[in-house]
Amino acid sequence: MSDTLTQLRESVSLDVPWNVIVHDDPVNLMGYVTWVLMKIFGYPENRAAAMMMEVHKRGRSVVWSGEREKAEFYAQQLQAHQLKTSLEKAE
Amino acid sequence: MKVAPVLKGGLRIDVESAMDWMVLRCIPYDARAGGLDLADRVSAPMDGDEGIGDWREFVLPDLRDGFNAQLAAIEAAVDAAGDEDGPGQVFILKEDAELWYGGLNQARLALEERYDLSNAVLAEMTPGKRSAWFRSQFYLHVQSLLLDHVMR
Repeated sequence: MSDTLTQLRESVSLDVPWNVIVHDDPVNLMGYVTWVLMKIFGYPENRAAAMMMEVHKRGRSVVWSGEREKAEFYAQQLQAHQLKTSLEKAE
Repeated sequence: MKVAPVLKGGLRIDVESAMDWMVLRCIPYDARAGGLDLADRVSAPMDGDEGIGDWREFVLPDLRDGFNAQLAAIEAAVDAAGDEDGPGQVFILKEDAELWYGGLNQARLALEERYDLSNAVLAEMTPGKRSAWFRSQFYLHVQSLLLDHVMR
């Protein structure tokens, strides 16, 4: 008769938020980038314009943070509007 | 060629000559010339992402379909507006504004990639490059009208 030893291993992973990042692209009009951010995220114009200016001046801006699945959805929406977009884990 | 907003909320393009028709027909042509893969371009910053394989497999084909549909719709609208070289009108309906904006953006992007227009000096351009520059400026003008008078 043999005994079966069962080992339980518990893995806990923290649900790290993901950033959606828009990258600068000189071809896109500044007003258009603002308009897209307002349309997709529902941001007020002043917030969207501030993010657009960050993209313009610093080359990139974190436009949204949250769960991976939703971040992917937003990234796809932004790319469909011809904005260069990436995802990265929030620090 | 004249482009102006209309009361219903769209834009009307008054086409006056064969040259004007040619410029409008150049929108999808410019966008496709050079073989730029826009879907690949807009997703390029994701190259280091852990899910890039799935992204390429599942998302990029949809993006390509969407971008191609914009160009096909513009092509159809220009064709439907008149197949002769005389005066005519092309209407951009309010509900089609985004589609036109996207198609014009593709054309401008492709011209920029091909000719590096933003770093070029007009006086030193070859005739072909100068023609591309003027088309790009026209596309930009229509985009600005769409953004300021139709999409907002």
